[in-house]
Amino acid sequence: MLETSADGPFVTGKVRLVHAVGMHARPAVKLTKLAKRFQAQISVRASEAADWINAKSVAKVMALRAPRDSIIEIKAHGDDAEAAVAALIDLVATDFPDAGS
Amino acid sequence: MTLQPDTFKSLVKVAAEQVIASAPELTALDQAIGDGDHGTNMKRGFEAVLSKLDTIGAQPLDEAFKTIGKTLVMTVGGASGPLYGSFFLAAGEALAGKKLPEDLADVFGSGVNAVSARGRSHAGEKTMLDVLVPVLETLKADAGREDLIERVRTAASEAVARTAPMQATKGRASFLGARSVGHVDPGAKSSCLLLHAVCSTLEARQ
Amino acid sequence: MSDTVGIVIVSHSRDIAKGTADMVRQMVGSEVKVAFCGGDPDGGLGTNVPGIIDAINDAWSTKGVAILVDLGGAETNSEMAVEMLEPERRKMVVVCNAPIVEGAVMAATEAAGGSSLEQVRAVAEELTAG
Repeated sequence: MLETSADGPFVTGKVRLVHAVGMHARPAVKLTKLAKRFQAQISVRASEAADWINAKSVAKVMALRAPRDSIIEIKAHGDDAEAAVAALIDLVATDFPDAGS
Repeated sequence: MTLQPDTFKSLVKVAAEQVIASAPELTALDQAIGDGDHGTNMKRGFEAVLSKLDTIGAQPLDEAFKTIGKTLVMTVGGASGPLYGSFFLAAGEALAGKKLPEDLADVFGSGVNAVSARGRSHAGEKTMLDVLVPVLETLKADAGREDLIERVRTAASEAVARTAPMQATKGRASFLGARSVGHVDPGAKSSCLLLHAVCSTLEARQ
Repeated sequence: MSDTVGIVIVSHSRDIAKGTADMVRQMVGSEVKVAFCGGDPDGGLGTNVPGIIDAINDAWSTKGVAILVDLGGAETNSEMAVEMLEPERRKMVVVCNAPIVEGAVMAATEAAGGSSLEQVRAVAEELTAG
């Protein structure tokens, strides 16, 4: 899943949103909090037609309004980009479990 | 007219007792266009002021004003606490180095400005400022006149009456829009009550 | 872990304030200090300055405190409470112009990442700005 662009290497990934009611507030908070743990710039979008949004902006992630079974795309750029994408994909794929954080 | 310490103490006492006695009336006005707590809130605040009357009476005037202001802020609740509290805190601040009654308009004006800043409001929006601002104008225009007290009393009464046809654009009453028309503003009324109590006490002492 | 901005919730109703704080704790977690107050000094509906001052001190952090309020009186009383803090704390507290529940959740999410007070406020206010 390695893509290159003029800005340097991007790590990208896709995952199906299995959460019963889609990307509502609680999953959005979890996704944002997890994204913030990484240094990388991280963007998400809920369909190929949509604009990329900053995964670290809780307002923007909440506004995604992705329904169940949407394909969430994640792309990251930076030192820990690979780990970030892997962690976020895992979070969505495992249906946003309650972390012990 | 000079302001003796015990005159000030009795001013505070009479004004506080007036507000406490008028709590049901203020609450009734507030039930019409607000959330119905103005009377209870003001009563609680001025009871707290009364309980500190001896302290207030013993303090220099500027400190006494600040004590009243702080007491109102801490006890009234609702928006009236910070609004009335800011009036007395700012007036107390302005009193330092000033003399009463010579600088009364200045001191009163500082209080009015503080209310305006705290509420982000101006006269004409159906609030206590619709009494305070006309009274300030009277204090400025009629300073030094023999009948100043009577003029302040009249200015306050007329100003309260003028709030009835106004449509509220600030505070809880603004949610009512046109339905706020026809009711006297409770904050304007409580300001008028306080001013009238002060006028009566000063007249009785003349 | 470094300190995070504290969150204070001020509502006219103690139940709303407490419920909002519960939502923040459940959705965002316990790493952000959340304090709340609601009701007048007699326990009726309203807001009161001493209660807000206590809540600010409970949620205090070296990074400051962001306050979320419901209706007008809550904002006026919160601003008054901020002015009555010790001078060095005053500039470390902001009242956010944001809806109380959404603003609190978003502010706490931002705070959890270790953001500054200004960043936390900006995120809370994104809903009103947009």
